[in-house]
Amino acid sequence: MPMNPLFWLLITPIICALILYVVGRTIPPDDESSPNKAAWLSLFSILLTVVPFVMTAKKFTEEGPVSLTAGMITLTFDGISLLMTSVLLVLSAMVVLFSAQYMVAEDHEEKFYGQIMILMSSIMGLTTATDIFNLYVWFELMAVSTYTLVSFYRNRTESLESGIKYLVQSAAGSVLVILGTSILFGLTGEVKISAIRESILTSSPAVIAATACLLIGYGVKCAIVPMHFWLPDAHSQAPAGISALLSGIVIETGLIALLRALSAVSHAHLPLGTIFLVIGCINMFIGTFSALRQKEIKRMLAFSSVSQMGYILLGIGFAISFPASAQNAEGIFTHIFNHALMKGLAFLSAGALVYCIKVSKGNHEPLLLDDLNGVSAKYPLYSLAFTISMLALGGLPLFAGFISKWQILASGIAAQKSWVAFLIALAGINSVLSLGHYAPPINRIYRHVSNNNEVAISPKFQQAMIIPIIILTAAVILLGFFPGITAGITKVASETLYTMFY
Amino acid sequence: MAGILIPFLIFTPWLTAILVWFIGDKHEEGLHQFASAGAILSAILSLLLLSQIGDSTISFAKIGPLFGNLSFSTDALGIILACIANCIGSLTVIFSAEYMKHEKSLARYYSMVLLFIGAMSGLVLTANIFMIFFFWEITALCSYQLISFYNDDPNAVRGGLKALFITQFGGIGLMVAGLLIFGYTHSFEIGRFIQAAQGGEIPANVLGIIGFTLIIAATAKSAQFPFFTWLPDAMEAPTPVSALIHAATMVNAGVYLLCRFFPALEAVPGWKMTILILGLITILISSLMAIFATDLKRVLAYSTVSQLGYMFAAIGAGSVLACQFHLLSHAIFKALLFLCAGAIIHSCGTRDMYKMGGFFKKIPFISITFIIGSLALAGIPVLNGFWSKELILESIHSGTPIIIYILMLFSVILTALYTIRCVWLVFFGEPRSDLHVHDAPFLMALPLGILSLGTITSWLVFEPFSRSLSNSLPLYGIPKETLSELVSKIFGDPYTFLALGMVAIGILIWFLRNKLPLHNSITRKIKSISLNSFGFEAINNGVVNGINAASEAIRNIQTGSLNWNIFGMLIGLICILIALMIGGL
Repeated sequence: MPMNPLFWLLITPIICALILYVVGRTIPPDDESSPNKAAWLSLFSILLTVVPFVMTAKKFTEEGPVSLTAGMITLTFDGISLLMTSVLLVLSAMVVLFSAQYMVAEDHEEKFYGQIMILMSSIMGLTTATDIFNLYVWFELMAVSTYTLVSFYRNRTESLESGIKYLVQSAAGSVLVILGTSILFGLTGEVKISAIRESILTSSPAVIAATACLLIGYGVKCAIVPMHFWLPDAHSQAPAGISALLSGIVIETGLIALLRALSAVSHAHLPLGTIFLVIGCINMFIGTFSALRQKEIKRMLAFSSVSQMGYILLGIGFAISFPASAQNAEGIFTHIFNHALMKGLAFLSAGALVYCIKVSKGNHEPLLLDDLNGVSAKYPLYSLAFTISMLALGGLPLFAGFISKWQILASGIAAQKSWVAFLIALAGINSVLSLGHYAPPINRIYRHVSNNNEVAISPKFQQAMIIPIIILTAAVILLGFFPGITAGITKVASETLYTMFY
Repeated sequence: MAGILIPFLIFTPWLTAILVWFIGDKHEEGLHQFASAGAILSAILSLLLLSQIGDSTISFAKIGPLFGNLSFSTDALGIILACIANCIGSLTVIFSAEYMKHEKSLARYYSMVLLFIGAMSGLVLTANIFMIFFFWEITALCSYQLISFYNDDPNAVRGGLKALFITQFGGIGLMVAGLLIFGYTHSFEIGRFIQAAQGGEIPANVLGIIGFTLIIAATAKSAQFPFFTWLPDAMEAPTPVSALIHAATMVNAGVYLLCRFFPALEAVPGWKMTILILGLITILISSLMAIFATDLKRVLAYSTVSQLGYMFAAIGAGSVLACQFHLLSHAIFKALLFLCAGAIIHSCGTRDMYKMGGFFKKIPFISITFIIGSLALAGIPVLNGFWSKELILESIHSGTPIIIYILMLFSVILTALYTIRCVWLVFFGEPRSDLHVHDAPFLMALPLGILSLGTITSWLVFEPFSRSLSNSLPLYGIPKETLSELVSKIFGDPYTFLALGMVAIGILIWFLRNKLPLHNSITRKIKSISLNSFGFEAINNGVVNGINAASEAIRNIQTGSLNWNIFGMLIGLICILIALMIGGL
């Protein structure tokens, strides 16, 4: 086991979490405007985790899925794990670097970084889980590590409120998950997902009950309507980096957990494909319509995440419904990757703007649409980055969102059913509508008349904010021109999805 | 050679756009010079490309999974349009050096204009339907950013968002068509699709869906009925932008799309007739709106919509040659008219024609160039507009029911009427207010002069024009005609003189307007309907209000109460159980 790179991949963040918490707690920062030492240590830890990741990935491409067994539990690193871990490492490195400046002089700053490391480990573990109960355990670990990150500003009532709401809804979801899991165990006597899949070959009231419980239970975490109500509060009250992580990787990991669980009943002749198609459409429209009237930027971005999940769910619906689509399901994973980058960029650049305008003065009020008036004059880089993220999320070309949206819809049409054209038109209409909330902030940013008359401030470690923003912007543009860059990892993920459902 | 020129043609303006952004607003002179240099270089490259016209397709690398290959075709349809886009683009950039002097955010302005020019070249040169969609959406993005360039003006922002929504909505049509083409031919190449469609490999209903979704995309982009309301509001853009994007290039993208897919879709029942009818309705509605408009740019905008209607009608009548010839003429004279209007508006500060008057003596150069443009618009011989318009009328006369031709003749009267009205109100008569105007400085006068020359002479290239189209597009059935054939056909046809007579009637109506019984309730009714865009503004407002109302209503589900949120989960659980029971048991 010590020679298995997968073991080190999962254990490194946890060990580092303990070390950096102790260091952060005992060694104070140099002065009030410097980040805690834990910030730099956590960045180092993430880079350290890349080593076992590369080794595991290499082993995966040479020999196939990499397994790690401990007693009765087996963890398997397959194509989906590869994709999710790549997204996680990129996004968390950006978030941690950004937060080094953003979270300066906050209370309990060192706990922030420690918890992010545990979150990372839980996500990587979840994507490698092969039995239905172990999946739940990693899922709970992920949920628990996010609760206090969401309500990090514990002295603000709105932050606590959003944390409590998230906690209760997530717990209710977990109850349903454990219910569904135990029904499946009771039916088959197995916990391994592949074994359950072989056993359950017809549907029955018990199978239906279990599927519904799993869908709703995991659905809370992946923002499926009507379980999405916690999102706007949690994403808008969390610190910028955590909002980026939540929208970018946590809800997608919830989706992966859902898919793993549902793959256990994939041979039971249930209309899962149709259900996902319908849910996808509902998510798209509810997300967009809810976002249209928002005046708070982060709330608007949170609803936009609901809508973007709708595209991914639509893609999954296509893949489950049609074998031809499942063989071309790269779009789903490209969108997971691109959405993490675009949403990460949106939250980080909005975070940079709110930091300069408000947070650095001790004001934790949210960023409003009106605050964006004329902001490009003083903060051209952050404005450009935010504009690019808005255009990318709106699915306009030159940027990554256009590419992944097209790929998802192309996978749908691969099935050659002409009624799919209707769903494509719906997705297109949703895209156009979504411009109604992505485009106006851009117009506000480039006004000449602005609200704030003070001089632009230069935080001491502003490179820590600038560098991730530049990297993410470059990535969003590059992936808009060279979709082939991520073709390797999305292809293996798509192949894994095919084996899960067919 | 084409394989090198084409990528350079797209990347030169794009690279210039990026560099302009980095140069920034502080170095204004440098910005003007650098942007102009980039645009002129692209224009030269596009003219060089004319020598490479052929029927080959150049394929570069595979773009990625489900995107096809990066491929371009060297046919005349694309290359001629690329030349128009780049040459007129360079003239408008030169014009902007004077027009946009001392404006703020010039870096953003030039970046968007150059990005647009590159995207337009890409749009017409590519042979991959995904790439057409890619460039199509980029042009929509640039158009939106440039219309709402003056972000502090709510009208400009509203106009920009409106253009974005309507053209993006049309873009859905292109997306659906492109994906269906991929689904049923397993390829993104347009040539493969045309082959498959003509060979009967695609089911008839699917081909029909493709045909009509492409019509939706084209009508939205080219501001035809029923999507014409965005173009007049797009006039909030700086005038060089109006000249380039909303007269000479982007709005031609819809026409280009229909011409490009013509051989695959002409056999679809009702396709050509739909395009013809849409074009005709557009011509009539927009001409009426132009007659009653008071804003100089709006008149030109309605006129653009109307002339695009002529091009649609030409496609509907089956003549791609007539359509493209008119596209060439119109791009030149409309860009000329818009730039003249820009020069006038820049110096006198208003767009209201009822405040102008008597400018002919004060600004002779602009007046003469504007009049040249309007003579071409009205269809007076021997300017380029005359030849192309007559070619369209001739194809309509020979290819469609007679009632259509009669309505087209009526539209010729209307066109002449709004043109002479516009010219007279601005340049002749007594000045209606105390406005100061000055003639065009050199950087404005140069493009005006070049475009006037083009208006007078562009028809002379008809022979190489039709020959290159015919040779490079064998599947499109384009006839080869020589110039002398054209001249003798047009002057030998008695219907030409009928059309000229209609022009004369239109002009006469204007001069006799006080003596004719024109002030009655019917014309007042027509006037008020025209000023209200025939009810389509009301439809737009209805849609926007409906969406806003729906969004407000949806806010109610986000109750903020934890109890209701958990109840929502329960509802979800029940719905999923029902769905699974229906499907599974």
